[in-house]
Amino acid sequence: MSDTPSHVPVKFKMPKWVRGPQDFVGGVALMALAVFALWASSDLQGMHGFSFGAGTAPRMFAVLLLGLGATITLMGLLTDGEHITVYAWRGPLFVSLAIVSFAFTIRPLGLVISAFASFMISALGTPETKWKETIIVGICLTIGCSLLFPYALGLPLQLFPRFLVQ
Amino acid sequence: MTELFSNLALGFGVAFTPVNLGLCLIGALVGTLVGVLPGIGTIATVAMLLPITFGLPPVGALIMLAGIYYGAQYGGSTTSILVNIPGEATSVVTTLDGFQMAKQGRAGPALAIAAIGSFFAGCVATVLIAVLGAPLTKLALAFGPAEYFSLMVLGLIFAVVLAKGSVLKAIAMIVFGLLLSMVGSDIETGASRMAFNIPELADGLGFATVAMGVFGFAEIIRNLDHGAEMDRNLVQQKITGLMPTRKDLKDSFPAILRGTALGSILGILPGGGAVIASFAAYTLEKKIAKDPSRFGRGAIEGVAAPESANNAAAQTSFIPLLTLGIPPNAVMALMVGAMTIHGIVPGPQVMQKQPELVWGMIASMWIGNLMLIIINLPLVGIWVRLLRVPYRLMFPSIVIFCAIGIYSINNAPVDVILAGAFGLVGYWLTKHDFEPAPLLLGMVLGPLMEENLRRALLISRGDWSVFLTRPLSAILMAMAAFLLVLAVLPSLRKKRDEVFVESES
Repeated sequence: MSDTPSHVPVKFKMPKWVRGPQDFVGGVALMALAVFALWASSDLQGMHGFSFGAGTAPRMFAVLLLGLGATITLMGLLTDGEHITVYAWRGPLFVSLAIVSFAFTIRPLGLVISAFASFMISALGTPETKWKETIIVGICLTIGCSLLFPYALGLPLQLFPRFLVQ
Repeated sequence: MTELFSNLALGFGVAFTPVNLGLCLIGALVGTLVGVLPGIGTIATVAMLLPITFGLPPVGALIMLAGIYYGAQYGGSTTSILVNIPGEATSVVTTLDGFQMAKQGRAGPALAIAAIGSFFAGCVATVLIAVLGAPLTKLALAFGPAEYFSLMVLGLIFAVVLAKGSVLKAIAMIVFGLLLSMVGSDIETGASRMAFNIPELADGLGFATVAMGVFGFAEIIRNLDHGAEMDRNLVQQKITGLMPTRKDLKDSFPAILRGTALGSILGILPGGGAVIASFAAYTLEKKIAKDPSRFGRGAIEGVAAPESANNAAAQTSFIPLLTLGIPPNAVMALMVGAMTIHGIVPGPQVMQKQPELVWGMIASMWIGNLMLIIINLPLVGIWVRLLRVPYRLMFPSIVIFCAIGIYSINNAPVDVILAGAFGLVGYWLTKHDFEPAPLLLGMVLGPLMEENLRRALLISRGDWSVFLTRPLSAILMAMAAFLLVLAVLPSLRKKRDEVFVESES
């Protein structure tokens, strides 16, 4: 999009011969993915006789994707297209961090700590967070989840840290 | 005919037990509750709520899931009308006239008509499923691996044709999905494919995990791009007078009929019929209206037709799933996931071996629609209040719910991380104008396609022409080719036009 605010640095300055950067980069990434899949499935058995081996279908799809990626790249070179919009870093970073922290803490620390911590981390994802209300909502949500999932729904979730329970 | 009635009677017998009625009600309520939250579509809602059905018996679980599905869809239209944010693709067109009606203080009638239209469409679609179920199951028995493969190709081509934007990119997304579905162990040899010795990947990527990533997390991340205070011009007027006037009903009745008919037909086709159904219904209404300029300014037909159409399509899309075992869209694929967890393999056998399951679910769809109309009209006030919750508090809550939801499917922390990774992938995809819906469909159909392709080629002793020599398969393939050409042609022409315009200037 061209209406990018001027204070945000445009990271993706493309050379002039790329007329549709969005398609160009998208296509290249798909090609890279296809090559990666080809490499990852290279140890698998191929066709034997007229029956498929384990690697036949993955390689077939990877080659297809390679072709499609190449075509999209070519379109990006030959036709005018959209520019790449600038990526925000704050939202993706903190939401991902919250997810990762949840994954790592749920087993050892239990739902209560894990959910509350992740709530707080993901709240960092926007500068508009007001901490007082966020903490209150976080506590309420944690209590709600602790009642809902293990008790009301009977899911096997541990609530408290393992070292405290044992 | 008597068989039809006895089937429906069996179904209602199953669905009308207090427990199942309760499950249906809870499903519809919770589905609406989550569906109302802006930025969470049907797919993310169903994926998120999947774990809450695990502890139930199979029939109850499916009834509840079906309830969640309709609830989510209805919740989506509530958001479209009140906040102008479509919860999902199917309710995009509802925003056009629905929000205008709300601005004119007619949010009540708009919501009521959406519910009535959905209910009517639901009734028709329920009967249709009951009528078509048995004959299509018989047809399914004539299907060999070659036919199955061709049908799935047709389904994927449909998905491509219906995806907005570039045909090429949609195909690329499908192939990406097919490739993702290859991760895990090979069905025949058991060889581990592209799993990199990660034990959690040995079983393949969980469908719910990927769905939650690209539809749930990616959506949140994308919403944060615009700042947490999204442009949420929630209708501030108090909603008074829920009931539509007599004129409203008279205006919208034919629109509901047309929307239902269109939606029912498009829903049966594999490949995400509900989206195109709502668009097609809206376009049709606008075309045949005496005064098309009313549309986009709060015409009640513009709410009635697409809402009936998408509900009809949502429901008839159970037909390919129940009769052929092919999930026609991402939500149905999640249903398959739920069924597999309960040890049910959808397809023609289910209809014969577990009729109470299938007919119970069909009957509960009708009940679910009825419940929606009853519970939602009085509850609109609550939904509105929910919509006033600022996004800065909402999104961390959604993140936590999604994370717990994914974790509890397999009790696997790795799944949560994978979903997060797919959230970033989904964010990247939207940045590059790739649609994630075809990706999911490809992922769902991948294993089925591979299996049938292998079998077909094995039976034909490696002869690829089998797809064209078997008549049924040939017809399906011809339809797919025709559709593809149809889809490519206009865009080709448009592209060429653009080139011409440029070279002239």
